Amino acid sequence: MNRSEKIIDFKKSVSVSECDPNFKFEVMAHPDASGLKSCFNCGTCTAGCPIHEVFSEYNPRKLAKMVKLGMRKQVLSSPYIWYCATCHNCEQRCPQNVKFFNILNVLKNMAAKEDYAPVCWVQQIEQIAKTGIVFATEEKWVKKREELSLSPLALNGEKAKRMIESSGIDEIKSKVNVDE
Amino acid sequence: MSKYALFLGCTTPTQVPQYEISARWVCRYFDIELIDIKDFVCCGINQINLDIETGLLLAAMNLALAEIKGLDILTLCTACTGALAEAIEKLEDEATRDKVNEKLKIVGLKYTGKVKVKHISRVFYENIGIERIKKEVKRDLSDIQVAPHYGCHYLKPKLAFGDFEEPDNPKTLHQLISATGAHSINYETLGLCCGGKTFPVTKDLAYLLVQKKLDDLIDKEVDAMVLQCQTCYLMYSDQQKEINEKYGKQYNLPVILYPQLLGLALGAEPVKELGLNLHMILPNKIIAKVK
Repeated sequence: MNRSEKIIDFKKSVSVSECDPNFKFEVMAHPDASGLKSCFNCGTCTAGCPIHEVFSEYNPRKLAKMVKLGMRKQVLSSPYIWYCATCHNCEQRCPQNVKFFNILNVLKNMAAKEDYAPVCWVQQIEQIAKTGIVFATEEKWVKKREELSLSPLALNGEKAKRMIESSGIDEIKSKVNVDE
Repeated sequence: MSKYALFLGCTTPTQVPQYEISARWVCRYFDIELIDIKDFVCCGINQINLDIETGLLLAAMNLALAEIKGLDILTLCTACTGALAEAIEKLEDEATRDKVNEKLKIVGLKYTGKVKVKHISRVFYENIGIERIKKEVKRDLSDIQVAPHYGCHYLKPKLAFGDFEEPDNPKTLHQLISATGAHSINYETLGLCCGGKTFPVTKDLAYLLVQKKLDDLIDKEVDAMVLQCQTCYLMYSDQQKEINEKYGKQYNLPVILYPQLLGLALGAEPVKELGLNLHMILPNKIIAKVK
């Protein structure tokens, strides 16, 4: 899928019958997203968002509104929800103390359950279960650490693997490679 | 003398060893003992994307490992700092902690809520202090001028860090730089995010963010950027080459880590003790200006 195919046509009218009125309740049921009810859609989040600054179609305010309108499919299948730079400006500046960053994480978790997760994040989980960190062991940096007299890394993912298996995150599959 | 569990994270020990080398040297200089905990794993920040509980679980596992040793955590990466600080805050809630501890049992661990996390710059600022740093300076860096970059997770979420900094008007890194004798500038895009967490998902947008800051700095009289996070570092430093090729730019701005600047001021050997030779864009201007 390339980006142009996935862009949501915001100008297209949305039929109420296509919306899921329970979607917002489902989202707000997660304690991290309960603040959404206080959002009055002022747009301060969007005004301070660095990603919005370079790509105006990424719009936290619009995403919050779409959740409230019940646009479940459009939100969860949107590649945009994965673009967040995690800078926390949105929650830092929100006059209503809504933590949009956390709401977005709840949305991403829901999207991941429907297999919309970008492959990069799924691969990181697989990697942590092996080495405990998000990277595979590479000869060049193992050597470099030796040369610099830095101690070798343990790179044991055994405990992390058991944590990952206990949470079911290893079941998440990816069908989206967001970049290309 | 203070003692911390050193949380290296994923990227520093594999790709930015100059941060680790210089951090260890400066901590040794100030008698801050760093304990390596071999079982530490990824802080969990990216895993929150797919499953909030898993991210919290990985963070809690690290906290529990430090707690067994009776240590607080010193971080190098701002994102690890943010992830662990947020986890500490979440785990103050007893019900959440109980739930997490049920899972931690699987690996024989338990977290009771005693660990604090501090980024290395915050340790310099609060535990060592600006005045002490000034007194220890052995080399004259007064000809050097740099552009600081704080890193989002050094400042936010504010709730997790208390009143340590004012996210929209940060000061500590500026003060830490001044303490070495070097000069730091203020600039319009000071607070702009490096895009490091967007990079794995969409490179283009991350590159646009990086360029905004580098463009802002192009006409400023700076010898280097000074950073305190290896992810920001890779975005502003190593990615310059790829951005130059992709967008026809000619960026060539050296980027160094704060412990390297501090180490220079304290008299450390630039290559062996600070790894200043390990940068893709060598900070020769800085070294030449040391008196």
